[in-house]
Amino acid sequence: MREPYSATASRYGVIWLLMALYLFPLFYLLNVAMKTQFEYLADPVALAKQIRFANFAEAWKLGNFADYLWNSIFYTVSSTVLTLLVSLIAAFPISRGYVRFSGFFYTFFLISLFLPNPLIPQFALMNELGLYNTQIGYILLRTSGTGIAFLLIVGYVKSISRELDEAAAIDGCGYMRYMFTILLPLVKPVLATGAILTAIGTWNDIILPVIYLSNADLAPVTKGLFAFRGQYLNNWPMLACGIIIVAAPLILLYSFVQRYIVDGALAGALKA
Amino acid sequence: MYPFGKGMARHLPLLLLLIPTALYVLLGFGPSMVTIVFSFTDATGIPGTEWHFIGWENYRTFFTASNADDQIKAIGRSLYFAFAVVLIQNAVALFVAVLLNRKLKGDVFYRATLFLPVVLGVTVSGLIWQLMFNPMGGPVQRILKMFGTSSNFFGSYEVAFELIIFVQIWMYMGYSMTIFLAGLQAISRDLYEAGYIDGAKGWTAFRHITYPMIAPAVTVNMLLSIIGALQTFDIIYVTTGGKFETSTLAWNVFAAAFGATSADYGRASAIGMIQFVFVLIFAVAAMSYFRKREVEL
Repeated sequence: MREPYSATASRYGVIWLLMALYLFPLFYLLNVAMKTQFEYLADPVALAKQIRFANFAEAWKLGNFADYLWNSIFYTVSSTVLTLLVSLIAAFPISRGYVRFSGFFYTFFLISLFLPNPLIPQFALMNELGLYNTQIGYILLRTSGTGIAFLLIVGYVKSISRELDEAAAIDGCGYMRYMFTILLPLVKPVLATGAILTAIGTWNDIILPVIYLSNADLAPVTKGLFAFRGQYLNNWPMLACGIIIVAAPLILLYSFVQRYIVDGALAGALKA
Repeated sequence: MYPFGKGMARHLPLLLLLIPTALYVLLGFGPSMVTIVFSFTDATGIPGTEWHFIGWENYRTFFTASNADDQIKAIGRSLYFAFAVVLIQNAVALFVAVLLNRKLKGDVFYRATLFLPVVLGVTVSGLIWQLMFNPMGGPVQRILKMFGTSSNFFGSYEVAFELIIFVQIWMYMGYSMTIFLAGLQAISRDLYEAGYIDGAKGWTAFRHITYPMIAPAVTVNMLLSIIGALQTFDIIYVTTGGKFETSTLAWNVFAAAFGATSADYGRASAIGMIQFVFVLIFAVAAMSYFRKREVEL
């Protein structure tokens, strides 16, 4: 079925309009970052007169972005690895029914989506445990075996034949070894999607760092950028550089892994 | 049947499952339940103070205190936010998913771009739109000027909240779109060809083939966006900080417990419970409605 030319044209028309809505803000951001404060005040919208990187170096220094980025990388990598680990040991037996009451566990984990906001008692508890303002405390809060990674793995494991479990067991493979050496490579596609979505969640988290990491040395890049905004609110070229310093690595990384998300890998969410 | 041995080995899955369960009970489920208890106390964040059970007092205060009007308005805004975000985000996402569900030049790039704001996150996205909506000669102000008008945008009582809704949709439309697209791509071409022979094309084909076939995606998207929209407040934190009449229930929980001037855990928990009642009502209603539709197919 070929569609008529006019339909194709309007299809592209709508898509390009959307692209403008999503890409223009980024181009504008880059444009502002290239300007001097004087240029910006004279005409915020005009094109930058030259490509200028000096602003970036200054913002990098003034904003302490090296420290913040390091913190963010540390939090994101640790919490993502831990999350995948606990999600796997939760999802596999639940999906297979290898524990009693698997159905109950599944529902019990799933209702985490709806529950009343746990923030306040959680904060009181973390305080009691001496985990307020600690890296380990924040990583623990960001580690969960009940989130999107769990759901994706539960759905995906159903598509892997049970006979594989049985064959491996007959050959003398234990439960642990099976999960980590045979199952793990098989669930890699959803693991990748789960990892990316978990990492995005932690990297972009701002509320928990604001509550739990009041010490500036421990702040991730979101909180650092927000503090930077507080200081340079009247210096948009500087602020724009700060935003780009935070956003550019994300865009770069994303361009490599986007296929794991947009190639319909989220379809797993529909199976679970 | 469990194939990995008997005796101790039989208990290994459960033992391991206890790790995520403990984590969840301790940091998620448990605190959620304790929120109910807290909402009936006068607990505060001030160290060393005693707390007492005070019955329904926090709830009474919510509806009768001198600022009760603001609280009621916050409920209204929460519902307005949720309805606007859920309806517009999903409608646009479905429309765009249908547009992109075809071999197009650069389709991967289009999809990736629409998902990009999810990757950039709320802080970067919020700041980018503050730059776009800068009242001092920003690009949008420039356009408004051409029409002889102007706005304070995020600093305006009239439009700040609508702009927050706009940015929220801008951020998460790509997420919903990706889930719809996954649903669309699972539909067999044969169905459309069979439908075509029976005279179903265009809107009819969408109404009677596409829409029923993506029912699971609709359910997932509706649920996620309803719950998300009622619980989210980070975009408010980044853009207005709750000022200019942009506070919602979710925001007020945060502000009452962790705000600059307030550490009132009891009152904040009560607001959290009121918010929870709305989440429950709408999530359960949506779930039963959309799940029923799935079954009817």
